[in-house]
Amino acid sequence: MTKISRRTFNLLAGTSALAMTLPHIAKAEEPVVGGSVTMAVADEPPSLVSLTTTSASTVILSPKITEGLLTFDFDLTPKPELATEWEVSEDGLTYTFKLREGVKFHDGTPLTSADVAFSLMNLKKVHPRGQSTFQSLEKVDTPDDLTAVLTLSQPAPYLLTAFSAAEAPIVPRHAYEGFEDNPVASPNGNAPIGTGPFRFVEWARGSYILMERNPDYWDAPKPYVDELITQFVGDASVRSIGLESGEIDLAGWSPVPLTDMERIKADPNLQVETRGNEYQNNGFYRIEFNLENEYFKDVRVRQAFAHMIQPQQILDIVFMGYGDLARGPVTPSLKKIYDPETPVLEHDPDRAAALLDEAGYPADADGKRFDVTIDARPGVASQIAQYMRNVLAPLGVAVTVRNEDQSAYVRRVYTDRDFAFNAQGSSQLFDPTVGTQRFYWSQNFRPGVPYSNAAAYQNPEVDALLEAAAVENDPAKRKEQLDAFQHVIANDVPAIGLIATHQITIANVNLVNFCTGALGISGNFADLYLKDG
Amino acid sequence: MAKTHHGAGRVPRLLARLLLRALPTVVGVVVLIYFFLRLVPGDAADAIAADAGAATSAGMEALRARLGLDQSLITQFGQYVWGLLHLDLGQSVRYNAPVIDLIWQRLPDTVLLMVTAMTIAVALGIVMGMTMARFAGRLPDRLLSVLALVFYSVPGFWIGLMLIVVFSVQLGWLPSGGSGPIGRAGQGWAGVLVKPRYLLLPSVSLGLFYLSIYARLTRASMLEQAGQDYVRTALAKGLSPRKVMFRHVLRNALLPVTTMVGMHVGAMLGGAVVVETVYNWPGLGKLSFEAILSRDFNVLMAILLLSSFLVIAANVMVDLVHGWLDPRIQET
Amino acid sequence: MTDMTTTTAMAPAGSRALRLFLRNPNAVAGMLILATVLFAAIFADLLAPGDPLTMVAQPFLWPGQNPAYPLGTDMMGRDVLAGIIHGSRVSLAVGLAATATSLLIGTLVGAITGYYGGWIDRVGMNLVEIVQTPPNFLLLVVIVAIWQPNLPTVAIGIGAVSWPTLARLVRGEFRAIRGKEFVTAAHSLGFSDARIIFREVLPNALPPVVVTSSVLVATAILMESALSFLGLSDPNRVSWGSMIGEGREMLRTAWYLAAVPGLCIFSTVLAFNLIGDGLNDAMNPRLAGRE
Repeated sequence: MTKISRRTFNLLAGTSALAMTLPHIAKAEEPVVGGSVTMAVADEPPSLVSLTTTSASTVILSPKITEGLLTFDFDLTPKPELATEWEVSEDGLTYTFKLREGVKFHDGTPLTSADVAFSLMNLKKVHPRGQSTFQSLEKVDTPDDLTAVLTLSQPAPYLLTAFSAAEAPIVPRHAYEGFEDNPVASPNGNAPIGTGPFRFVEWARGSYILMERNPDYWDAPKPYVDELITQFVGDASVRSIGLESGEIDLAGWSPVPLTDMERIKADPNLQVETRGNEYQNNGFYRIEFNLENEYFKDVRVRQAFAHMIQPQQILDIVFMGYGDLARGPVTPSLKKIYDPETPVLEHDPDRAAALLDEAGYPADADGKRFDVTIDARPGVASQIAQYMRNVLAPLGVAVTVRNEDQSAYVRRVYTDRDFAFNAQGSSQLFDPTVGTQRFYWSQNFRPGVPYSNAAAYQNPEVDALLEAAAVENDPAKRKEQLDAFQHVIANDVPAIGLIATHQITIANVNLVNFCTGALGISGNFADLYLKDG
Repeated sequence: MAKTHHGAGRVPRLLARLLLRALPTVVGVVVLIYFFLRLVPGDAADAIAADAGAATSAGMEALRARLGLDQSLITQFGQYVWGLLHLDLGQSVRYNAPVIDLIWQRLPDTVLLMVTAMTIAVALGIVMGMTMARFAGRLPDRLLSVLALVFYSVPGFWIGLMLIVVFSVQLGWLPSGGSGPIGRAGQGWAGVLVKPRYLLLPSVSLGLFYLSIYARLTRASMLEQAGQDYVRTALAKGLSPRKVMFRHVLRNALLPVTTMVGMHVGAMLGGAVVVETVYNWPGLGKLSFEAILSRDFNVLMAILLLSSFLVIAANVMVDLVHGWLDPRIQET
Repeated sequence: MTDMTTTTAMAPAGSRALRLFLRNPNAVAGMLILATVLFAAIFADLLAPGDPLTMVAQPFLWPGQNPAYPLGTDMMGRDVLAGIIHGSRVSLAVGLAATATSLLIGTLVGAITGYYGGWIDRVGMNLVEIVQTPPNFLLLVVIVAIWQPNLPTVAIGIGAVSWPTLARLVRGEFRAIRGKEFVTAAHSLGFSDARIIFREVLPNALPPVVVTSSVLVATAILMESALSFLGLSDPNRVSWGSMIGEGREMLRTAWYLAAVPGLCIFSTVLAFNLIGDGLNDAMNPRLAGRE
């Protein structure tokens, strides 16, 4: 009996609205108040508020302190957070948010629509993606303290999904007084106040960040955990050992060497979760061609390369099976948008050889065709570059791998454009207009801008489809446009899709509700508790 | 000045002299490194965008403007030097915090690591060297000589990894990384008490190389000193060999060791880059490597300046220790 | 002792040193290890044909698990033994090229400052101090970050940060020698400075330089491996350090990936140090005699 109700509770606990209506159950039932949770992140964050950066650690930590208007289920269904009600007008040009009553920032100031207006307009200005995500946001009106009305210049069908704490944090306007022109410089980035379940206490540089339970949280009696310590542990094997020893309770974004996963899974003290990447869709790996390169301007060469790859091998060797094959431009985990019918260039070395012959690169007496250099975004992508070197050798293409650090890579590929093709992982995010369009839209061929259309891909058909989908309010029509887009890219191969990785979260068995929605480890942890306190 | 007592005035005078001597070096280091660093492809804005995984053109422009990267190199350098003259080390672009704060937070752990490693190296090195000298040419000397050579030849990061395999992975005796327990357990007295457990492997990995140098140096200079006339005279005068050994031979033999220690202080910070990476030790070595990767050059400049001053300070110390070991030096 | 002006005069002393060297068991052991490494480097293409970066088998085969791959395979299914054999080339090439670089710069700076003295000496020594003051490994990381990690940059970079030791050494020798009678004699014969520096003084300053070079090779190999370990190596060439760096994450599941190449670095460095010691011992008597 209790077992069932416990499970039921856990299911419901994710739905804050429901949990709110049953506060006595929440109190009487399972969640235990108290205890300390230690989480490990790879890098020290540049800031604690995801207003000005989308750095991985910031996006994990920011939502605990600074909340968003909405939060999202595993299938990206919006749920209330700071907004209790929301309405999108028929024409998709007006969004009205009703704010939750009685919400206070950690310094006691009440949350008002002015904070929402300030936050959204600044996101548009200083968030690395804000300029494109909120490009059609014209203004935010505040008819009263608890109502925010957004006016758009054109519809943005993806926009509602952007109002999460991770992507669109609502910051206290007064904490940015004097920094209106330069929000990045505000001390709020390093010692934030927000409305969230946890309050900032201390940031020990090079070591950890300490947060404590917010006793005045609007969703009382949440949160349950007394303190949340986030330790910076740069080394994956150290994280792995820490999780096993119990020093680390929680770590996300595939925190351990995948070779350790067998041990971790067998460890009775640890639990493994592969959901929680539905919102950010991190770890989407591609081979991207520079279409201005003498070889790759010819579609036959690009197709030939695609015919040499067996993504299953990459999945098995590099990602040890933790991922899905993703041959098109869109990740399969965006189930409502991904088209499983996307054509695939199957492994076919003979066809590849024939294509290169046709393209004017016949094999010489030694079987050699040409030499080319691959760049790799540092990290796992460099193993994919090594894989390319291996599979292209039999085709007579000698691949040289270039080693450079992240900044040099970004400078070379996006500013200097001194590259032939590259292996990279990127975030697909919650919608192709936000996460995918940037790589294929001719208007986003902008030398100097990282993670833009480095392929220099210019296809009027693709442009038309992307631009239409960006403002299409009818989901069915939009799906058609995006399907067509996926098909064109699959044949035209400005980039070869490879793998959409699973992002693993590992937690101590003692932890409950560490992954309650699409935000995964970037959730606000209001529901998180320790079984034994 | 004339009133200053001979002994008391020594330190400030030494300091002043050394600072004066070191000034051109420090200026040279600043100029050379500042412009040298600008040759690295990519700037802080690229690093920040790379880290964020997203960017827009207006965002990149704003970022460069904010970081002053849109100004000419000379202007930037001028501003940097102006700041330095006002004892302002600037802001870290990666952490958006004053560089001085970052340094202060990382410094204690690095100092602890380096001092421990150096203490192990000097203490064990001298003991080992003395033993070798005592048994010169015989079996213990031969064995220890080979051992010293082994320490001298083994890559610090690799011995670090192997120590982790043995003592953390296989035996489970010592932690595999970090400078203290993760989270709250690392604070207060509890943290201090467990610190040695975290310190042992990294400081051994960092110190072994230097240990071997000091051992060989001690051996060589003790043998050299033992052949000197004054030793023979002392022994002939009937002083006990033990007394001669410690009072005279060791004392003089330590001179080259202290000189070397002074020289190694800077180099050790370089070694700390690798060892701190292996052990995830949150010190300046790791910070400097991260600063290079994120083009956070103000941080790197500050660390290099600091290490320059460290080298100078080490020289002062060496001179003082020499004065104490060998009173004759004081007169010159 | 003024008769030691030319290299021919050094020949008997040299052969005596050689005899001493060959009688030293440590030095002979060093030579044997080095010969093995050299053998692997020279015949790598015969011993392990093909590109050692080729994925040949199932990943994570332990040593001995499959006789075809006696040292096992790494995380991408590459033959560890092939990597070890080909890695010897990188270590030796970088070690020797780096030492050549620092010999070139160090000897030149040391010779000029030591020979001329005065303001040239002061400027030169300031330069030496500027290069020596920042931790040289950090400088090296910056150099490699600027010109990208490949074999030439790594070798030149290591040479560029390690020459000051040699410069100081050579300068010291030059200062000691320049006042000797044969140098004064050479001056009075109207020899040019360049001739005196390179033909008269330098040969006499060489013995300690030779000893130091051997140690420099060892240090250079260590530096290369540390760089590779940090990921700053040429990804198209297998190096022992990069093998350790890649194996580091698998320390708990496959520690052999880090252990085996580390042993190779250790042995090679040890060999050079043993040889250096042997050379030192062999040349020392003569050096002492010159004092």
